[in-house]
Amino acid sequence: MHDWTYLQLPVFLFMATGFAAGALLPVILTGLRRRDVMSRDVFERVVKNFGFIAAFVSSLAGCILALSILLYGEPLHVDLLYTRHFGMMSIHADRLSALFLGTISLLAAAVSVYSLGYATEFLGRRNLGLLVFLYNAFLLSMVSVVVAGHTVLFVFVWEAMSLTTYFLINYDHEDPASRRAAFLYVVMTHIGTALLVVMFMLLYSFTGAFGFESLKSAGPRIPAFERSLIFLCAAIGFGVKAGIIPFHIWLPEAHPAAPSNISALMSGVMIKTGIYGMVRVFFDFLGPDIPQWWGVLILVLAVASSVLGVLYALMEHDLKRLLAFHSIENIGIILMGVGAALLFSSLGNNALAALALIAGLYHVLNHAMFKGLLFLGAGSVLHGTHSRNIEELGGLIEKMPWTSFFFLIGAVAISGLPPLNGFVSEWLTFQALLLGFHISDLVVKIAVPLTVALLALTGALAAACFVKAFGITFLGLPRSDRAMHARESSPTMIAAMASLAIACAVFGLAPGLVVSVLDPIASSLLGTNLSGQVSLNGGMLLVPDSTSTSISPPVLTGLLMAIIAVPLVGAFLLGGRLRTRAAMTWACGLPKIEPRMQYSATGFSKPIRMIFSNIYRATHEIEISEETSPYFRASITYELKTESVFLKHIYEPAYNIIVTSARMFRRIQTGHLQSYLAYIFITLVLLLLFAR
Amino acid sequence: MGAISLQTIGLLIDIFAAAILVTAFLIVSSRSLVFYIRLFALQSFLLGVVAFLVVLGYGETHILIAAFLTIALKAIAIPMVLTRVIERIQVRKEIDFSVNIAASLLLCGGMVVLSESVAQSILSGQQTDSSAVSRVLSVSIAMMLIGLFIMMTRKKALTQIVGLLTMENGVFLSGLSITYGMPLIVEVGIFFDILIAVLILGVFVFRINKTFETISIDSLRSLRH
Repeated sequence: MHDWTYLQLPVFLFMATGFAAGALLPVILTGLRRRDVMSRDVFERVVKNFGFIAAFVSSLAGCILALSILLYGEPLHVDLLYTRHFGMMSIHADRLSALFLGTISLLAAAVSVYSLGYATEFLGRRNLGLLVFLYNAFLLSMVSVVVAGHTVLFVFVWEAMSLTTYFLINYDHEDPASRRAAFLYVVMTHIGTALLVVMFMLLYSFTGAFGFESLKSAGPRIPAFERSLIFLCAAIGFGVKAGIIPFHIWLPEAHPAAPSNISALMSGVMIKTGIYGMVRVFFDFLGPDIPQWWGVLILVLAVASSVLGVLYALMEHDLKRLLAFHSIENIGIILMGVGAALLFSSLGNNALAALALIAGLYHVLNHAMFKGLLFLGAGSVLHGTHSRNIEELGGLIEKMPWTSFFFLIGAVAISGLPPLNGFVSEWLTFQALLLGFHISDLVVKIAVPLTVALLALTGALAAACFVKAFGITFLGLPRSDRAMHARESSPTMIAAMASLAIACAVFGLAPGLVVSVLDPIASSLLGTNLSGQVSLNGGMLLVPDSTSTSISPPVLTGLLMAIIAVPLVGAFLLGGRLRTRAAMTWACGLPKIEPRMQYSATGFSKPIRMIFSNIYRATHEIEISEETSPYFRASITYELKTESVFLKHIYEPAYNIIVTSARMFRRIQTGHLQSYLAYIFITLVLLLLFAR
Repeated sequence: MGAISLQTIGLLIDIFAAAILVTAFLIVSSRSLVFYIRLFALQSFLLGVVAFLVVLGYGETHILIAAFLTIALKAIAIPMVLTRVIERIQVRKEIDFSVNIAASLLLCGGMVVLSESVAQSILSGQQTDSSAVSRVLSVSIAMMLIGLFIMMTRKKALTQIVGLLTMENGVFLSGLSITYGMPLIVEVGIFFDILIAVLILGVFVFRINKTFETISIDSLRSLRH
């Protein structure tokens, strides 16, 4: 076998230059256009095609680079520049970086192809040059975040990523909602960044190192209290970006506001950089021997995110907001793996921790694929109907068969149904947690069953939510003219969705392959190899150690299919041929069905709203206007509002405190020159008195 | 050293420093703008003399240039500029006091006590050979406080300038007393700064007067929103 690792550096440079070229192309061409060298139409077409193709090619290079690091295990190390105060700033991509780099690149490649078709809508209407510039800059900063090997460089590209995202959310800046979403995002993300800077400075003050390699396993060198402080800073700082509850408030606003291809990238991979940061800091820097409460805290946040995320998603009728809440849910599922890994690792059970971490990382990859697919599907729906409100849609399966099909694949995957990828990683998470049941520790005994139960609840609710999302959007009759006149997306958009759907299937059908790639990551972070403890039987079957029994995914799939098939076959054999009769579906004997008679999304989610009424605190108003007689009503309006507990009980009080104290401080701002001088004078005299 | 002994020079520095403090008090107690400026000129002249005495007594020749500059700029040029501003705007009296003159004088007396005690605590750490130095330091701190106090309690823009200049004189004096003068380049920089500041402030006062028909800085409140 040849060693191809010497090609890593050229591939990396190719990728970085490709993104940079894609970003610079519109800048240069704008300069030319100002001089009337080309018309706006030509400019936009050139920028769109070449910009997104550059992103596509660079993303492919990123995939190749990530694969080579993952397979050969040789980290890529590039020294960028030497600074006097911070030492050598370098790129350092090990296997963990490579996993995230691969995930980003894979999704970015598909989304770039999708954008070729999707951005045609903006031709002549929006600033396409800006979009292409920001798109490539965003991708470049995102891949830089996961390969940065130096804290200062990391913070720099992290900020670059935050800012490009801010401008992308604000792309539709005529809409006040977009501006508000972008502002909320930039405030939240800067709170996070502030904590990250504190975290890195704390790390520096105890280790004297900026480079990620020298920070490796720095945990034991830091006193316990400061170590926990670093942990909390990282959990909140990265948690804001990852969108875990209660730091999620920006996410459901920002994802719908951005163009759909950007939403796919943000939800699919950008929020994963938060997970990358957490894994990097928790396991790589602060490990080994970590306090037990870290794992418990992360598990609590994870469970809250996943359950509340899916519950809020159920109440949403905006397709993209619904998907955004599902991102929160899935981040929760990923964090369950991470939290369980922390918990098991703190008890010294590194094999189980490795399994849990692998489950979490596997879900990172899977969520990127199916959530990217779903957002692209939502983008196609938006593209075809110009509506995101699923109450206005319906019957799209007739007009947009391909989009419907691929959306369905994504919906099945996110609901955790076999044989697609969502099932595999959720099942791995279940397995890791269930195996942890054998650990005789009180905290584990309490935390693990609760987590398992709530993960199961999450899966069920997610399935319910996607029955609603798919059923209301694509099945039934069109509820509005927009849905009636929907049109199918362009071939590039469909091809992109198809490739992601294939990825969902591949990662779902070959779990052993993926796990064997993820195994070295876990072993490099936790020091234990999974393959010694759990046998990966034939690459397909996952049989854990001898102390317990478990069923592998493919066997389970077969069993489930058998359970469905046996009664069907039996009924067919025993009952003989069935009579068929052509009639309208679910007409209940009525002669004519109107779209308005259909089950609405609000109606569908009502049972769940009733069950969890304590969480939703829903209020509804019915307004009936009558003319002459109560039997002839002119109009009925029904409005339903659910309340966000976090907004009302955390963020609004905090906001009010800040505003009130700012008002109080404003009182001393009299505008009187003398009073300002008096402040200085009094301060000076007091300082002189104190310093005496 | 020359004919005069170090002790005599210390005594002279004491006397002149006290005279400088007296001029500061006179500024606080007066109402006429022209008188302010003349007092400031006198104060700067006395400051220049103190600088000369430092040159004589301690042989710090680089102060010589600073002393000349003090007298040339602060005792002659700046008062001339300010006098011309007064002639142009036809305002001669400061009548708006936040704190009346008697109370101002009492408060300034308190500041002298405060700065004396601060100077003592600053100097108690190190061995001081000359009592003159310590007294000059307390005077300089008192002048900075009094200058700020003038800016704080008077409302005419011109008085603000005089207050600022008094503070600056205090800074120069403190530099003189602690380190026998700052490096020349710093001194020259400060002189240049002050000169430009006075020119600009003079223009501003003229403009403010033209725009608001008054040089009372109360009117600047309307710029707040």
